[in-house]
Amino acid sequence: MLIPSLQIYLLVGAVLFTTGLLCMVTKRNAIGVLMGVELILTASNINFVAFSRYGKLGLDGQLVSLFVIVLAAGEAAIALAIAMNFYNNFETIDVDRASNLKG
Amino acid sequence: MLTTESLHHYWHTLTGPGGDLRLFMPQFVLCLTIVLILLLRTFSDHINAKPFAFIGTVIGLLFALWNWMSASISHEPVNHELFGGMLVHDMFSIYMTVFLLAFAMATVVLTMLTGMPDTEDSADFTTLLLGSVVGMTLMASANTILMIFLAVEMASIPSYAMAGFLKARRASSEAALKFVVFGGASAGVMLYGLSLLAGMYGTIHLPTLAHEMLYQMTVTEEAFNPTLLLALVCFVVGIGFKLSAFPFHFWCPDVFEGAPAEVAGFLSVASKAAAIALLARFSLTLVGTYHHAPFEPEVWQAAIHAVGNYLSPVLAVMGAVTCTFGNLAAFGQTNVKRLLAYSTIAHAGYMMLALATLTVVGAKAVLFYLIVYFFMNLGAFAVVAFVRNVSGSEDLDAFSGLIHRAPVVTVAMSVFLLSLMGLPPLAGFVGKFQIFAVLYETGWYSLLVIGGLNTVISLFYYVNLMRVMIMTDAPDQAPIISLPNAGFATILAAIVIYLGILWNAPEQWSQIASTSLTRPERAVTHMEAPAADLVVEASPDKTGN
Repeated sequence: MLIPSLQIYLLVGAVLFTTGLLCMVTKRNAIGVLMGVELILTASNINFVAFSRYGKLGLDGQLVSLFVIVLAAGEAAIALAIAMNFYNNFETIDVDRASNLKG
Repeated sequence: MLTTESLHHYWHTLTGPGGDLRLFMPQFVLCLTIVLILLLRTFSDHINAKPFAFIGTVIGLLFALWNWMSASISHEPVNHELFGGMLVHDMFSIYMTVFLLAFAMATVVLTMLTGMPDTEDSADFTTLLLGSVVGMTLMASANTILMIFLAVEMASIPSYAMAGFLKARRASSEAALKFVVFGGASAGVMLYGLSLLAGMYGTIHLPTLAHEMLYQMTVTEEAFNPTLLLALVCFVVGIGFKLSAFPFHFWCPDVFEGAPAEVAGFLSVASKAAAIALLARFSLTLVGTYHHAPFEPEVWQAAIHAVGNYLSPVLAVMGAVTCTFGNLAAFGQTNVKRLLAYSTIAHAGYMMLALATLTVVGAKAVLFYLIVYFFMNLGAFAVVAFVRNVSGSEDLDAFSGLIHRAPVVTVAMSVFLLSLMGLPPLAGFVGKFQIFAVLYETGWYSLLVIGGLNTVISLFYYVNLMRVMIMTDAPDQAPIISLPNAGFATILAAIVIYLGILWNAPEQWSQIASTSLTRPERAVTHMEAPAADLVVEASPDKTGN
């Protein structure tokens, strides 16, 4: 049985971070890339909360993660609006098709 | 317990003389302007919001200048922490606030002249612009990890929308998508690095964190801490993206080409200035020297040196590669905004070179460079916008024979380009000279050589643009750039020439601002006391795990 400890939570955070990075690098769909970004933000949130529970960070860590959750929502709203606009112009959200600008 | 008296006392500390809210007035005025514009919008779709934005930025700028005046005549060094340590109010943050508000004002004036977002969209555009500026001023005065992340996001998110402001243009929507995807990714990576830093040293308060870092380095005598390196690399990824430093630069040319020239100019100066200010604040806080050192000064110095060894090489290599890459890639660009984007990348590289020395003189050179950069780069982007308005194109061809159509604007543009190049009688030379002088004084001869070579490389593409403007024949149709637009460019060019000759005053301001970056007495603060109480409540043994 796993005993909850700082290391376990940090491990979960690190796995989420790596998953998010891989997701951003491999996904060609803009929504997929944005999901990778959300995973990375969640990884940081888990770190902050874990440090505030087991480390010296105190409530500051939880405060930071609350703000990050709100900001992630705001960022997702803007990103989805931009993805919609991109779809209206290109009829796809494949980021590889975004290749008009080059040089 | 909250009593009426304590509330009164709290209210007084916020709003009384020297209170937090009074010092925060510049940003507060901008926030009020945003709310006002949004309210006006609900009444009518056809209200032109640009005059309101202009008045708002002017009032904010006056408050910021008032802060600067009152801080420079005070006998004690100004160094307050605002809102429980979240922000710091010192000469550096006031300097950057004045700078950013002045630039916001200039951008609003430019959009009034070019009419880029038409009246119907002006409310949206000014709201985004002012919101972004508030975020940037917070970046320059952030004092905790939370504020760093909030400010970076607050500055970035409106700029994503501004990059895609021309909704029906394919290039614009593509630029916005690239910007938001890479921007979100790099901000996330930066936050992960910051979470590791906060966890390792048990605080989100930057000066306390720096103190704790030096303390632990001294106690453990570790030669190398991989977690610290990972955390700092993650942070540099986030800042490198904002600065468009080398491996994270690729969004910059695309966004500048796709976005309107006014937005590109704003991102090129304000966004870079805020990012470089945050980098300067962060890195110089980490290597700042503190009075309350619990060890011998030599031991303490060794720890500071060790922290510097993590940061300095990363910044030096990144800066050198960034300015070389920017200058090489700018050569052969056919779109002028794209060319200026690579020039922006190169200039961010020069500023990083000065910061890599991790000294106050380096920060001073950067702050001076920012003033110079303000006028020459805004001028260049303004001329691009003017030419776009009359010819409908931003390609190099649209500039051919410009001297026959608009001689004044051509001369002004030549002044901006020569200044960006760094030729002697102009402001750009003084800025570059200060950076190179710092590199020489601190013994970074390799960086000095790289910087010098880069200046030579940059000659080619700037001169090429001038050649197209002056030496080629004009196309048949010859639209004329209007008088106010030419006047705007002329004023900026005059300032660039003026700063190239009489640069004492801005040099003094940057001197005053940079010295407040390393302030010893801020090491241990009231932030620690509440944090210690909270640890007891949140500790695992109490809850029986």
